[in-house]
Amino acid sequence: MRVALAEDGALFREGLQMLLEAAGHDIVGSVADGDAIVRLLATEPVDVAILDIRMPPEPDGGLTAAERLRALHPDMGLLFLSHYAESHYLMRILGIGTERVGYRLKEKVGSVDVLSDTLERIDDGEIVIEPVLAKRLVEKPQGDKKGLISALSEREIDVLRLMAEGRSNNGIAGQLFVTPKAVEKHIANIFDKLGLQADTAAHHRRVLAVLTYLRSQREDG
Amino acid sequence: MAPDSLPAVLPGGADDPWHQRMRLERELHDGPALRLSALALRLGLLSHRCQDPALAEGISGVQDELHAVLEELRNLAGKLYPPLLDEAGLGPALRQVAEHAEAPVAIVDNSERFGTALEGATYFAVAECLAALPVGAPAVEVAITREGDEMVLAVTGLEPGATARLQETARSLGGRTDTGPSGSPETAVTAVTARIPCA
Repeated sequence: MRVALAEDGALFREGLQMLLEAAGHDIVGSVADGDAIVRLLATEPVDVAILDIRMPPEPDGGLTAAERLRALHPDMGLLFLSHYAESHYLMRILGIGTERVGYRLKEKVGSVDVLSDTLERIDDGEIVIEPVLAKRLVEKPQGDKKGLISALSEREIDVLRLMAEGRSNNGIAGQLFVTPKAVEKHIANIFDKLGLQADTAAHHRRVLAVLTYLRSQREDG
Repeated sequence: MAPDSLPAVLPGGADDPWHQRMRLERELHDGPALRLSALALRLGLLSHRCQDPALAEGISGVQDELHAVLEELRNLAGKLYPPLLDEAGLGPALRQVAEHAEAPVAIVDNSERFGTALEGATYFAVAECLAALPVGAPAVEVAITREGDEMVLAVTGLEPGATARLQETARSLGGRTDTGPSGSPETAVTAVTARIPCA
């Protein structure tokens, strides 16, 4: 896969470069700030751009660079890396795009398998979210919706959490060691209990629905 | 979440304790945290190159330990000065705290910024109140607005005994507070409004 990265910490940038090379990816460029990555990719598109959120231009150059990259190349994947997994940044990322985006903790992409899996899922059009954040969003609902979530069975909460991570039905089935058919049934129940329209054809729209729902809980308080 | 004792606050000065805390948080992020994250990547590379499954498993265990250390560093940094408070202000930072509260909490703000010292002192005072909410407590609303050269912090829904820290903080910042019934007839909760001068 063709990738480029922007990260202002030299040690981390070099480490990530070595890991990407070891995973067999083609690194088009490696820079230290948001403006530089936009310049680099203006003429040289890649499959996925990897962006540190907190880098120059301060305070969050990764996000402003991503907005410009998304406008220039709508099909280019964006993987955001951060020292923090915060729903505040997730909502801002989803404001930039709801397809081909990922948000992961820096230290958690520290294996060839995880890094490649993350990049491939983004390139396939998925939303990839740091599991600990997806878990927190699903398990700590606020306000009135708390009652709705408590109506879900333990297995349905597992399924919803994996949906919020951007997993496909087959992906969820694999994680939970059940059949895709069983996953479909769980999802139908979840949509039903949460009062959401089911749309099994477009899975990222489904993830978006889940996230919009989670966001509305946060706004309602 | 909250410090044991409040540092004396001299709002505005670059040497006040809140600016110092913020700088320490930055140093933690830019120094040890980033080095440890880079180390996690280097271990991943070693694990990829090594042929011995037992050794690879050992390396993966060390990576897990590194993840735990980073999580501890994040908690420590958050106690100094939450990075989200610095980057996005009181509303987003308090919403993050509200996510962990045991009762429903609504944060109402319009993205106004009030400076490092005032935001730091207010954040930790409100965060302490929210962290102390018992399971199943009534809903709490925290509203933050600017009126002229004052920050107005209105907290509704706390039990009467739970507002001391807010009042103490407002006083230490040269502000004043009004406490009254919340207007909700069935529960014994209060409404506290603090008016604190800001630049």
